[in-house]
Amino acid sequence: MGDNAHVDKAVSVGNYLNLYLGQNQGVRLGESVVVSRKAHSRMPEKKIKGQIKILTNRDAGKTYLDFVEENQVVHIDVYHKPGDVYAEDVARGIYQAVYKYFLERDPQLKYAEDELYKMVAVYYHKIYIVTNQGKGLLYDLLQDKVSPVVAGEEGYDHVHILARLNCDEYYLVYVIAEAVEEVILASEVKLARVRNIVHGLQKQKEDSFAGYIKLPWKRFKGQKAASLPEKENVNQLIVKLAEKFGGVEEIEEFMESYSTNIFKRKGIDQQKKKWGDVEHYIEQLEELGILKDTPAGKILTRKGQELKEYIINHKCELETEIRRSIRKMPAGGSGRFNKLGSCDFKSHRIEYINRNKTVNNPQNWTGDLAVPESIVQAKKNSFFRGDSDFTIRKEDLHYYKKRTYVPVNVCILLDSSGSMAGEKRQAACYLAQHLLLSGKEKVAVVTFQERSSRVVVPFTRKESELKKGLATINPAGLTPMAHGIMKALELIKESRIKNPLLVLITDGVPNVPLWTLDAKADTLRAASFIAKEDIRLVCIGVASNRSFLEKVAEKGEGILYFVDDLNRDNLINIVRHEKKEMLKGRQMA
Amino acid sequence: MVPFYRLERYDGNAALFDMVLMSIVSTYAGEPLHIHAEGLRGTGKTTIMRAAKDILPNITRIKGCIYNCDPENPHCPEHRNMTKEEIMRIGTEEIPMPFLEISHSAKVGTVAGSIDLSQLTDRLHPEARLLPGLIPQAHRGIIFVDEINRLADTSPEITDILLDVMGNKPGHIQIEEAGLPVVDITVNVSVWAASNPDEEPGPLEEIRRQLSDRFDMVCYMGRPNSVDILANILRENSHCGKLNKSFRKTDPEYDRQQNDKYRQNIIKWAQTYMQTDLPDFLRNFIARLYIKHNLESIRAIEAMQQGAVLHSIIKGRNTPIVNDVTYMIPLVLKHRIDGDALVRLMNEVDARGVRDGILNFKGRKKKQSEEVDVDYFKQTGRPLKDMTRSELINTEKSLTPSDF
Repeated sequence: MGDNAHVDKAVSVGNYLNLYLGQNQGVRLGESVVVSRKAHSRMPEKKIKGQIKILTNRDAGKTYLDFVEENQVVHIDVYHKPGDVYAEDVARGIYQAVYKYFLERDPQLKYAEDELYKMVAVYYHKIYIVTNQGKGLLYDLLQDKVSPVVAGEEGYDHVHILARLNCDEYYLVYVIAEAVEEVILASEVKLARVRNIVHGLQKQKEDSFAGYIKLPWKRFKGQKAASLPEKENVNQLIVKLAEKFGGVEEIEEFMESYSTNIFKRKGIDQQKKKWGDVEHYIEQLEELGILKDTPAGKILTRKGQELKEYIINHKCELETEIRRSIRKMPAGGSGRFNKLGSCDFKSHRIEYINRNKTVNNPQNWTGDLAVPESIVQAKKNSFFRGDSDFTIRKEDLHYYKKRTYVPVNVCILLDSSGSMAGEKRQAACYLAQHLLLSGKEKVAVVTFQERSSRVVVPFTRKESELKKGLATINPAGLTPMAHGIMKALELIKESRIKNPLLVLITDGVPNVPLWTLDAKADTLRAASFIAKEDIRLVCIGVASNRSFLEKVAEKGEGILYFVDDLNRDNLINIVRHEKKEMLKGRQMA
Repeated sequence: MVPFYRLERYDGNAALFDMVLMSIVSTYAGEPLHIHAEGLRGTGKTTIMRAAKDILPNITRIKGCIYNCDPENPHCPEHRNMTKEEIMRIGTEEIPMPFLEISHSAKVGTVAGSIDLSQLTDRLHPEARLLPGLIPQAHRGIIFVDEINRLADTSPEITDILLDVMGNKPGHIQIEEAGLPVVDITVNVSVWAASNPDEEPGPLEEIRRQLSDRFDMVCYMGRPNSVDILANILRENSHCGKLNKSFRKTDPEYDRQQNDKYRQNIIKWAQTYMQTDLPDFLRNFIARLYIKHNLESIRAIEAMQQGAVLHSIIKGRNTPIVNDVTYMIPLVLKHRIDGDALVRLMNEVDARGVRDGILNFKGRKKKQSEEVDVDYFKQTGRPLKDMTRSELINTEKSLTPSDF
């Protein structure tokens, strides 16, 4: 087969692709084709045209096809000059090319057409094509079933192909690309030369505050800095940063990382561990002129120093603003989570008397008699009754209204193994703060990591205590879930609080045993202790660990929620939903 | 108490002083303006609002009418069917504009109205009559609610009454009492409120969103941050001034004169207000803001219109200008939309230079070019077929021209 240059070329391209795509890179194949497993975009912001940006944070399968797993799809873009390219033609071209390629590679197949046909048919549903004249799966397009494309959609200015290929099938990329080019040329459209490819992150639009926040020192066309409403802008910037970093102190800490004092500087890895992906924020701050690049790394500009100063001087107001934004309910309500199981729960209610409100003639004759109201009522009624003397009858009596209230004290049991670092940690901390600020009940936080567990925050209503505790959470190491459950149980029992709600937040499965050698069995045993106590258990996990968490929830007689992402809104929505359920439980009890 | 004119004014509370004056002018003219001061504890929200009590102008009412009936336009059950002559016979009287407070022990009966006990227990002529509560009595005046977030949390009944009173301009109130006919009367009351969003049970908009939206304007108080201002505040409030008359810098007579000045100004402004309207182009501008930024409550833009006119008047002008509207934006919208949207809106209004014209809502130049850029690719490419194997794969590194 040595003389078969075509097959050879394809195989060698396949090998290269294996190497580069494996490193999360994209390549330019020939001059007009860009291949990667990511989404691609043009770079209109740059002066040099003809460049393509490979968005390393956007997986192609996830972006275009709503896949859950990454790296399932190879994204092939063939760029061409303006002109019509029909998707059916492309599909036929690809079909023939693949067919021909298999035949070329193994001429014996000529005598086994069925086999050959089957080999090609495998890709019918694996290749998805978009051109400026239509789109669809290879299978549909071959039968002339074309879906229309709208201007501005992906693939409008190039032939956009998504192929679900395994690593050992990457040689097909060359085959496909060559076939598409031929179809384009046959449609009398010229190929376009991609000048360069660049790797980068896609900026998330909703988060890029640099675009609209105006700091007093940022120059805008035709504007005098003095006339800008600076306070609102600066405050909003701080609130934005606080959403990310947690609080004023954390923002200061983050800014210290870029101060000139090298002893206070923190490396990017350390920052990432604590706050998750910070690069986007650094970029934004650079755009706002708060950070700048120097040979010795990024540092705060003079404006940045001013901002820091401002933060220090206005801590009071800023913290209020931040707390206010934490109290806000997430929009969108429930929806992004699945709930499994249900449990009956008897909650202890607290009754108190509302001295501001009285009920006349209640059904229940117990409680505190409201004397002044009763006399007034009696006086009125005796006037209307036409009594000659003042009389008090049973129907005149007023009682103070009772109000009941179910305090739900939440203990957050947080997995702080290595995988929870960054955004998930932040989300859980935010949940704790939100619960404390928006409710009247106590909140506690217990974490488990490495080989032990600890009480980070005992049941408290003090915000400062909570914040201090949360700041010490530093995810690392293994997942000793059994330890965590036992510690939380101990804390709940010791504190003797009413209506405890234990919220287990984890993204993994236990891997450190407590009593035996089997970590999972120990965890299940620990969970069974929860069921014995009067504790309501809620497990929040990701879908991939569903089967194990289901068992935990079952043993602990609790409820399991699994979400696609352990983010802030999901967590808050789930816990709020659960608290509401507990209030309903009161009526059943 | 420190008189209104001597209260320290600084950056953080300037808006509240404006709002208080605007609301008094508007109320005096007959159109309520509901305001809400939010801020940290001890920043003087309540002080400023209560001090305004002394600068309220007088109103004329039918003599002895507890509902503050305007002789020109009587509304209470007792006077509304009377002829002019009958009213003339009763006579009129001048009273200071009412300023009443709803406290936290208030009950529906005291706020809305209840049976008049003194009449009922009258030895000679016992009679069942209605005694109007605080709100009907504050007609053509001001109701002040301190810590309104707590009230909204603990007394939902009173909150419901406030919702009715503040729902329209003028609002209405229904008084129900067993054994008496239901009375429904209009009330023209400006509600002033103060609260600390950071204290239990949290900001008003989280507790009762509707009530928060009823307020036309919200002022977020800032802390004073200059030493001079703080020292002045301390001097005004020092115990010597309060206990020892000889320490006082000004005599009560002078204070009264100063308050009178405000009073006369308010009357003058109210007359201007009745004759001033927002120019059409500004009305258009406000309407476009509503559409463009998907604002929810029409109350917001109504308040913006009312506020812009009032602001121009208390600043001594008689035609509102664009700045009056932009000054209103944060006051009117801060409690209605989230911080991000507000900053975006403000900056966009602001970013337009004089040349662009503030009324031009068309997108700026940059936006349109993004979509289809036909000559994005300048050169044509060679097909794969014609290439040698070594030319096939190019990485970012190999494509980026380097100087080394």
